[in-house]
Amino acid sequence: MDQRLAELVEELTTSGEPRLEPGRMKELKKICKSSEEHISHAFHLLVTRLQEEHAEMRFSAFQVVQELFARSHQFRTLLIANFQEFLELTVGIDHEQPLPPPKEVAQKLRKAAIKAVQDWHEKYGEAYKQLSLGYHFLKRNKKVDFQDVHARTVAERRREEERQKRLDNVYKEKVKRTEKEMEEMSQEIADTLTEMENCFQLLMPDPFNFAVNDTELEPNKQMSVVPSSSHVEVDQSCFGYMDDEQPCCSKDILPVSQCVRTDGNKESDEKQEKPEQKELDGGTRSEVLSSDPALDDDDYQTFVRNHGLISHKYTLDLEISTDIKVQENEDNTAIINSVMDAHKLLRNKFWPSVQSWIQLLTRAGVNDDRLRCAIELKNKLETAMKKYKEMNISFKARKRKVMKASDDDDEDEDEDDFVEVPEKEGYEPHIPDHLRKEYGLEPQAAPKAPVGKVSAGPAPLSSRAQPKGNEDELDPTCAAATLKLIRDKLPKLPPPHTSESAAPEAAALEDPDGKRRKLEEERAKAPLMPFGLDLHYWGEDQPSAGKILKFTSEHRFWAPSEVEEEVENKEITEMLKTRYITFAGKFEPVKHKCRAPMPDGSLCERQDRVKCPFHGKIIPRDDSGIPVNAEDRAREEKMRFEKQAAQPEWRDPEFMREVEAATGLDLGSSKNNGKGQKKQGKKKKYPNLTDLKQQANTSRSRLEKKVFNKGAMKRVVKAMNRVDQRKHEKFANQFNYALN
Amino acid sequence: MRISFAAVFQGKSSKAYVSSVAHGTPLVLSLELNKDRDVERIHESGINTLDIEPVEGRYMLSGESDGVIVLYDLENLTRKPSYTCKALFSVGKSHPDVHKFSVETVQWYPRDTGMFTSSSFDKTLKIWDTNTLQPADIFYFEGTVYSHHMSPVATQHCLIAVGTKSPKVQLCDLKSGSSSHILQGHRQEVLAVSWSPRHEYVLATGSADGRVKLWDVRRASGCLSTLDQHNGEKSKASSEAANTAHNGRVNGLCYTSDGLHLLTIGTDDRMRLWNSSTGENTLVNYGKVCNESWKGLKFAISCGCNPEFAFVPYGSTIAVYTIFTGELITVLRGHYSTVNCCVFQPHFQELYSGSKDSNILAWIPAPREPVLDDISEKSLPQQHLNPAYEDAWSSSDDEG
Repeated sequence: MDQRLAELVEELTTSGEPRLEPGRMKELKKICKSSEEHISHAFHLLVTRLQEEHAEMRFSAFQVVQELFARSHQFRTLLIANFQEFLELTVGIDHEQPLPPPKEVAQKLRKAAIKAVQDWHEKYGEAYKQLSLGYHFLKRNKKVDFQDVHARTVAERRREEERQKRLDNVYKEKVKRTEKEMEEMSQEIADTLTEMENCFQLLMPDPFNFAVNDTELEPNKQMSVVPSSSHVEVDQSCFGYMDDEQPCCSKDILPVSQCVRTDGNKESDEKQEKPEQKELDGGTRSEVLSSDPALDDDDYQTFVRNHGLISHKYTLDLEISTDIKVQENEDNTAIINSVMDAHKLLRNKFWPSVQSWIQLLTRAGVNDDRLRCAIELKNKLETAMKKYKEMNISFKARKRKVMKASDDDDEDEDEDDFVEVPEKEGYEPHIPDHLRKEYGLEPQAAPKAPVGKVSAGPAPLSSRAQPKGNEDELDPTCAAATLKLIRDKLPKLPPPHTSESAAPEAAALEDPDGKRRKLEEERAKAPLMPFGLDLHYWGEDQPSAGKILKFTSEHRFWAPSEVEEEVENKEITEMLKTRYITFAGKFEPVKHKCRAPMPDGSLCERQDRVKCPFHGKIIPRDDSGIPVNAEDRAREEKMRFEKQAAQPEWRDPEFMREVEAATGLDLGSSKNNGKGQKKQGKKKKYPNLTDLKQQANTSRSRLEKKVFNKGAMKRVVKAMNRVDQRKHEKFANQFNYALN
Repeated sequence: MRISFAAVFQGKSSKAYVSSVAHGTPLVLSLELNKDRDVERIHESGINTLDIEPVEGRYMLSGESDGVIVLYDLENLTRKPSYTCKALFSVGKSHPDVHKFSVETVQWYPRDTGMFTSSSFDKTLKIWDTNTLQPADIFYFEGTVYSHHMSPVATQHCLIAVGTKSPKVQLCDLKSGSSSHILQGHRQEVLAVSWSPRHEYVLATGSADGRVKLWDVRRASGCLSTLDQHNGEKSKASSEAANTAHNGRVNGLCYTSDGLHLLTIGTDDRMRLWNSSTGENTLVNYGKVCNESWKGLKFAISCGCNPEFAFVPYGSTIAVYTIFTGELITVLRGHYSTVNCCVFQPHFQELYSGSKDSNILAWIPAPREPVLDDISEKSLPQQHLNPAYEDAWSSSDDEG
């Protein structure tokens, strides 16, 4: 029966299930019931199970303990005598002896154990002194909170606290840094915001400003404001105007009720309205002209009569579109530019950083002025950005800023910066062909070129000039950019004709469009090449190139017998005309797979280009991995046969394994065929339990095994020592190395 | 005067002795954690030291590692079997004169309960008036105080021996209120001191240098003898190991009640019994006595039993040895953390132990089974049995 008891305990505790198997449990209880000896035997078995370093095993054992504890006094006495150990193994009160993995099960075990201790204490605490002592010990010393569902022990809580503390410190540091940053930046932000606000004001005066504060503002004054912001769509300013003057209906009604108003007055009003109406483009204005319901009948009558209206029920709906459009023109360019810059600054710099501040402050749980300040800043930024968006500024195509100087009125001032240089007399400017574009000159005609030796073909010239021109235009410091601007401004100017291109163009005069298209196609096709010496001297014959001049010795006596004054060096000449083009080819990913059959039935997945390191040259194979070509098949067959022949018949691995199993001797069958079989041979002891080794088998642990391998360490140390030694030998006589 | 006191002690202890002998086996052997006896839980940190006053054996002092001292009444006057020892008063954290750090030793004045002494890691030794709970005197030292002891039998002097961090043993005279003597000889801190219960001028001290020295405090020149674990035989092997009682720190000393033998314990996990008059190692083998304490360890020797037993803290348990054979009788389990001290109450043959888990446990001899002279009485205890002790197997077989 003892045998059976041991078996039962083992089976119960290695099931790995969260619940005990009721049949076996019943049997166990039956055995335990039969005699006290069995109980103590079971107790010892269970204690050994509880000591296993596997939480699932402990958990199952604990469940069995719980069952028996409720039933047998003998068992209780035994367990309580060893209660401290029991607590260590199930609750994990000893921080040096934590509960074993897997973690979730350990957590569950701890919870269950704590609950059990509490229950037991309630039920048996009075009778078993040590049990109540243990309970109090958990409660008072280990500070186990029996209400705490998470059932964390002090050690755990402390760990948690420490982590929290560390986090807090990090946050504190960050908050401090943020605060500093905020201090530094908020001034900047405020400045930018003010700038933007001012720009907005200039672009489009705020209607409400007028409405609220500027009641005394005369229309004249306002009109003077409007031109200043000139091409701002005026409807906004119109609003201001309207607001200032008060909407006409209210203007009408009140005086009417007082019977002060005259028709003429009204007419003048309408007149006044008209120009406004004209100014309104795009936007419409809503204005509800309706009767005041508060008017009583008499008033109503008078009202109708006074105005010559038939009905009182006219309604006039005017829609005001709120979208504004700001057109850029010469007058407001500067403002728009600064608005744009400010907006860019807001969007790219301040907005993200303010966002990150808020995020950080909320995460750090800062709840005071700093957060409020940050949120305020954010709101301000958002309104500014929104306003900017609402402005709907339609830009002219942005040009180089340097160029714009020429557009602006202050061009003269800019030019004052330059020192006037007197024209050089007799100076005949020669600008090399490839630089002409940069200077804003048309490519020079070949015959007119003063130094130009030979005219280059038109095609290479243009192909070169095109990308170059583009580059130059991108560079604002270059005159070409200016030229482009001018050219863009005058699109109707006939395209400049170069003398080189004149002839072919004349030939193709009939179909200039087709020609141009063709040219464009060619240009698209033409490769973009980096500039080099060869291009520099393209088509030019360098007379001095490749010539090495040797100076004759001017010594009185010593002179070489014969001096060749000039040596022609072919190589250098060549160099000026050659271009090295490396052709590495293009990478083509491998599409095929090795697909050789593997021992486990699958096909090899390797994608080598030519040769698989395991299965040799890659050959076409069918779906089951058999070579398509007959000769390949034959070769593979032969190889297999040879391999079999190399291994004698009696060493057939299957047979060997059987023999080994029968005799219990190791005949080395596992050595023969490598890793696959070794794994098969090793059988897991308890297949139901979670494999702890598997969990521990992470890439890190595998690497650790390799890196911290003793042999490897020794090797590395040796190598390093050798290096040190060598250094020592080399520099032993220098004091600063001698110490190594 | 001396005789009269001695007679009092003799009388008390012999009563208990007689009672135990009459039953055939010492009561001590049946010590168990009794559910009827509890000690009030006041402490919040570990108990370092306990002392029961020798006059009545009724009041117990406990010193805690956060400086608190509590006094318990052990006597059960309720006439009920279950009794919780009440804390009569305590020198708590709010007391102006409380020890700042861990209290290492408390001891009653041997003559009466009007006075007690306590020493602490805050480098002081305090003499307390029990009735007013005010310190009557405070001695200051340069190092932390590990242990102090007053002679239980002294009539001619009123000296307190104090072992501190310095290697010199200090003697404080209660009459003059000054540190009168210094005993020089140890090389490291003195962890344990104990006066002989037989000779009032004889003092034993144990130090971290592994030596146990016996002193006659009347002699200024030096110690009487240094106990040698090898009895002088192997001392020639190395001069360094010569004259050491233990290979580790000696952190516990206890005389047998008759003062003829001295028991020492050290961090080499050994316990040794010495003949206190000759200084000879009796070579009793107690086996391994686990001892990891880095400060003084208070263990107790029974009184009035035959043979005598030693109660030694052994991790979180208490090991009970017979002194003269070294046999491990039993292990008392009940604490959940390291046991720091034991104290034996001779009148009722009870043992009290204090541990780091802040529990004081009372180990009471199990009540003897009533003599089975009547059959009707035999079934009686069964009825009285606590229902918690009953088995609860389900009745039907198939339910198991």
